[in-house]
Amino acid sequence: MPELDLNPTDAASLHAAVAQPRSARFMRGVRLGIPIFLGYMPVGMAFGVLARTLGFSTLEAVVCSATAIAGAGQFIALSLLAAGGGVWPTLAATSVVNLRYLLFGTTLSRYLRDVRFPTSAWLAFTLTDETFAVNIADQRKHTASAASMAGVGAISWAGWVLGTLIGATGAAWIGDPGRWGVDFAMPAMFTALFIALAENRRHVITGIAAAAIALALPLLGRLGIEVHASCVIIVASMGAAGIAAVVFAHED
Amino acid sequence: MKTELATATILAVIAGMAVANFTLRFTPIAVLSRMELPRWLTRWLSYVPISVMGALVANEVFRPGGHWQEPVTSPYVWAAAITGVVFKLSKSFLGATLAGIGAFVVLRAVLGVG
Repeated sequence: MPELDLNPTDAASLHAAVAQPRSARFMRGVRLGIPIFLGYMPVGMAFGVLARTLGFSTLEAVVCSATAIAGAGQFIALSLLAAGGGVWPTLAATSVVNLRYLLFGTTLSRYLRDVRFPTSAWLAFTLTDETFAVNIADQRKHTASAASMAGVGAISWAGWVLGTLIGATGAAWIGDPGRWGVDFAMPAMFTALFIALAENRRHVITGIAAAAIALALPLLGRLGIEVHASCVIIVASMGAAGIAAVVFAHED
Repeated sequence: MKTELATATILAVIAGMAVANFTLRFTPIAVLSRMELPRWLTRWLSYVPISVMGALVANEVFRPGGHWQEPVTSPYVWAAAITGVVFKLSKSFLGATLAGIGAFVVLRAVLGVG
């Protein structure tokens, strides 16, 4: 498996490729994560604005972002709360949306064998779609380390929290954040990360298969089989990865 | 749409999300990093990152806000194409993201949807 090295020797390479001091590796991660920071800021602002209009205080909005760091999950929580959903239905829905973190955590766990508790907890805490993709792409080049991953997580967290703070404090004069193209910040990041991860023919085929499944699943609604929107990503990605693992088994 | 939520509800949701998210994120790292996973599972996991990104891109670009948009006239689709080309040429994650957002703002104004 040359393209994504999941064997134990490469878990070790994560630590072998670390000639630099820890602080330098951390700062390298911070620089790697600056695009995530800049992408999270406007989306965090949108969350801050929306949370304030629904009755969150500035502090509550910021604490929510600082402790949850769950983009889509947080917006879904807001919309369910606004629609009068109670605490438990809201938590259940956001947890379903965030089930993909289980998948990310499982994938990432391969590289974190020798990473000890406070660091591993921080890497888990800051695990998002974007930090995951950036760290996996970095790991493929054998340049990732626990410290660089912690740096990616730190700058991403800062962007999300700072954006929320700005949005929540300036909610009144910011108005609709959508007019600055905020709606496209996440899709743009996902598109670039998709290409960064699509290293070879097998990856391209697998990624397109996942996209096709994700687009086809909602059509099942016409047959009376409702796949909840929050499950689409999980079903599509687990399904496409499973098909790829079977189809490309002999090529590994 | 209710405009004001009870403080107790807000605090309960904040605390619940914090606990639930950390549990989802940390459990596999805490448990699985100490285990030797079977070969078929690691092979499957090796295709997870690209699959997740493929599904996310498709969902965000073709079904923004959960609704299918005609791709030919969708600012999301064209802006994503521009983002992809810029990333392919520049290898700059930041440049591609900013180019995509800029393209989206222009295309949305031109195409009048999204």
